[in-house]
Amino acid sequence: MFVLFVLLPLFASMIITQFFEQKFSKYIALIGAVISLALFPLITKGSFSVNLLSIGSYVVSFATNVLPLNLMLLGIVLIIAPLIILYSFGYMSVRSEQKRFYTEILAFEISMLLFSVSYSFITLFIAWEFLSLTSYLLIGFWNTREIANTAARKAITTVFLGDLCILGVIAILLSTVGSVTFSNVFSFIKTNQSIALLISVLLAIAVFTKSAQFPFSEWLPDAMEGPTPVSAFLHSSTMVKAGVFSILLLFPIFYASNLLGVIFVIALITVLLSTLNALKEKHIKKVIAYSTIQELGLMMLAFSGGAIAAGVYFFFAQSFYKVLLFFSSGVVMESTDKISLDETSGLKVNKVIYITTLFGILALAGFIPFDGFFASIGMSSSFYNNIIVYVVLNIFGIMTSLYSFRWLFLNSKKTTPYAKIKYKSISKSIELSMIISSVLILIASASFFYLIKPVLGGTYSNFTLQTLNPLDVIIETILAVSGLVIAYIAIKKSVSLKSSLLIKLVNNGIIVNTAYMYITKGVYAISEGFSYFEEGLSSLFDSFGRGVVDLGKIIRKVSVGNINNYALVLSVGMILLFLFIFVLKGV
Amino acid sequence: MASFESLGILFSIMLFGNLFLALFSKKKLHLIFNLLIFSAIIIFVLYLYINNATYSLLNLFSLNPFSEFFIFLFTLGAMLISLLYFGFSKKYNELSLFLSFSLLGMYAVSMSNSIPGIFIGLEMISIPTVFSILLSKKSLEAATKLFIMAAISIAIFSFAMAMSYGGVNTISIIESQYSLIMLIAFVLFLIGLGFEASIFPFNVLIPDVYEGSPSYVTALMGSMNKKAGFVALIQIVILMFTAFHSAFEIIAIVAVFTMFYGNIGALVQKNLKRIMAYSSISQAGYILIGVATATTYGISGSLFQIFAHMFIFIGIMAIIIVLELKNKKTIDDIVGLYKESPFLAVALSIFMLSLVGLPLTTGFVGKFLIFLSAISAGLAVLTFLGIINSIISLYYYLKILLSVYANGKRKVRILVNKTAVTVIVICLIVTILFGVYPQPFINFINSASSYLFTIAGKGL
Repeated sequence: MFVLFVLLPLFASMIITQFFEQKFSKYIALIGAVISLALFPLITKGSFSVNLLSIGSYVVSFATNVLPLNLMLLGIVLIIAPLIILYSFGYMSVRSEQKRFYTEILAFEISMLLFSVSYSFITLFIAWEFLSLTSYLLIGFWNTREIANTAARKAITTVFLGDLCILGVIAILLSTVGSVTFSNVFSFIKTNQSIALLISVLLAIAVFTKSAQFPFSEWLPDAMEGPTPVSAFLHSSTMVKAGVFSILLLFPIFYASNLLGVIFVIALITVLLSTLNALKEKHIKKVIAYSTIQELGLMMLAFSGGAIAAGVYFFFAQSFYKVLLFFSSGVVMESTDKISLDETSGLKVNKVIYITTLFGILALAGFIPFDGFFASIGMSSSFYNNIIVYVVLNIFGIMTSLYSFRWLFLNSKKTTPYAKIKYKSISKSIELSMIISSVLILIASASFFYLIKPVLGGTYSNFTLQTLNPLDVIIETILAVSGLVIAYIAIKKSVSLKSSLLIKLVNNGIIVNTAYMYITKGVYAISEGFSYFEEGLSSLFDSFGRGVVDLGKIIRKVSVGNINNYALVLSVGMILLFLFIFVLKGV
Repeated sequence: MASFESLGILFSIMLFGNLFLALFSKKKLHLIFNLLIFSAIIIFVLYLYINNATYSLLNLFSLNPFSEFFIFLFTLGAMLISLLYFGFSKKYNELSLFLSFSLLGMYAVSMSNSIPGIFIGLEMISIPTVFSILLSKKSLEAATKLFIMAAISIAIFSFAMAMSYGGVNTISIIESQYSLIMLIAFVLFLIGLGFEASIFPFNVLIPDVYEGSPSYVTALMGSMNKKAGFVALIQIVILMFTAFHSAFEIIAIVAVFTMFYGNIGALVQKNLKRIMAYSSISQAGYILIGVATATTYGISGSLFQIFAHMFIFIGIMAIIIVLELKNKKTIDDIVGLYKESPFLAVALSIFMLSLVGLPLTTGFVGKFLIFLSAISAGLAVLTFLGIINSIISLYYYLKILLSVYANGKRKVRILVNKTAVTVIVICLIVTILFGVYPQPFINFINSASSYLFTIAGKGL
């Protein structure tokens, strides 16, 4: 119950913001976020449930539960939200949009907090719907730009599909179990496995749409049209993390349905595609977006492959360096006014920015002692017994290191004097938020040794991390360094991107030419389908109205409003209804 | 019996009071009288409901949980409409008189135990509405269209009445045996009520009528007249035709067409009132899904949706009236509304989200109950099509939402009339309160719908 009180400061600042001038919005939002963070240590474990509605034998109850796992996610969201707001102090300089931005960010945080403690499907559904809606508003924040609108529309269509799947699950559960609380569903699933498959297929679709897994992954890179703080929030702790987390939350259902194998394969495909995309993408933020998809895929892989502990640590560690990398790309974009990696430059100018970014990159690439290193060690050591997965993971490790250094090198080219001035005059709040997040990375690395046991204690006691093994440390370091070296050779030596041997290999390799092309085409078609769904319908209606035959003209005239035609439609309708009865029913 | 008479006395006071007060043009006095008498009726009906009172009069009208629910609902609606009339029309006295006639018709429809009762009720609803539209000189065309449609549908309805008398040999609404003549009667009833309840394809003129009428009368038509059509439809279909399997198939098919017509139609519109007209047609489609399930849950869902949409529609129309005064009629006109009037913008977005079916609003609860009942009744395809429709509807509702918060060019603050604020706030409170905690209402609705099935001898 108390956990809902954590939301109160956020609600309060959302409302208070409306009554003050635009320039105060950021302070009010920050105060709200910090107060709710301060309340975090007071959260006690325990569940809370209230019946929203009961009709006949159906009971729909709103339930929350705080387990150590939920606490972890709550902590991540509560810590990152003030950081995002602090960063936005310097970043969101458009005066007229302050209220809207901070209100929406707070709403986003509230939805995610609600999600992280949900303990019944209706709570989950409510949180997911609000996540979808607020992300729609935030992605389409610059709604005067058509491209932002399209991206937002694509995102919400994809995600809404998943929400509807949850609704389907609720309907199925109500008509079979009669309750939507997780504990009731879990105990029902144990004895009744036939329904588990249906439910978990629907849930898997929901998870894939939310976490941007194959084939629903395309909305996430497009979502980069939103303001950078939004991207940072979306990728580090909210929205996409919700999908992965719900696999953990609902693990018994997936476990009972034997669907984990399928999820494993899809996660592997996602990881492969997104890694390749990250290697060849040139949009500064989209590289990191693809990297997020890859990481989500890896988490999915870990959860479905039984490496729960490694996945949970990865989930935790990823939040902090991802938020930092987005902060950094925001700085680069602001200072150089460019978004293509070919043109961005000058990261080295501001030392604070450069060093903190380096922290993020080293973590992403997997250098000791940053948290990404422990995350990938945890991952690979969990798959010792499966040599193929182990090798594949290590290859991905090299590639991750490769694209992260490629991103770094391409961003730290020599820059123009004008950009230099802009780099030097970066707002203090941006620097501060980046310093805090790099400190958080180190804290996250230290927590490798302390986090997993309390978090997973009761629930998944049979899943533990292997202890740190010197051989693993060496292998991991070699992988990361080799990525660095390849990136150095490929980019520093042969300055142009196109001529570099490795990029050529990636672009023209066998895999890329055959499977990848077709798959991306398919994915593209699906995602295009989502964004053109509406236009398709409109044009359908248009052609319906225009009409190939005269019938079309009649219909259009009717909509213009001629009464004679009304009588005509009425009689046609009457005739059709009678025909239906007499012909089809054979009376 | 005593209760029935006292309710009758209240109705007569309402009617004659309105007649009397219409002679003097004292708006405020008239409004106070109306609010008082409406509250008296609401309190009395709630009292009857709590005491489980059921009475009947000459086998023609009866008071039962079902009719009590709708008397309650329509009186609440009439209160809001009355406020809108007061705030935005100079001819409050005349409009109010017509409203009281219409309201009496709605009471007749909800209480009626016999087909002529429904007939009288429907006539009493539509004719005064035509006159209300005619009070505004610009709306002659809309009034004519409404009148012609009402006339045609009433003609078909009376034909259906004749057929059903041939089938069951009584004017009461009783369960009938399967026969050809009753099947014909069913189709004719559906067509006759098709206009009243805005069912495809008998609804093609409805967007014109809604757009052409003064907005406060549109609020009345969309929220109450059409719902009264549904009340008649539900009573006739559930009480007379439960033995007809094909009847419910036809309703399901008609529901699908109605939803698609409404949603796809709304997609290409720019005018706010037309969008709302098409949107209310699509809502009628959702309500029909609940009817097509022919179960208590389904009817409960439909009743909840009727309740939810009534308040959402009145709220949105109140916003549209205010916007029309500033000459804002299309989506392009409301770009940047948030800067001009945060209150209107937030209210409009909550109503839109409720129509989309966002959780914690009444729109969600209604749709949820309807789809849930359809799945439990085995109508999976219908549910699927309904869900496809909610995805389509997402686009035009969110389009409004985005343009409301977009950057506008001119920023002139809109001052909102006090009565409009009252109406909008009441609708907002209802939409959110019963979205978060629908249980009290659901109990009321459940007793209404299960009563219907106990008479039909088909309790679930």
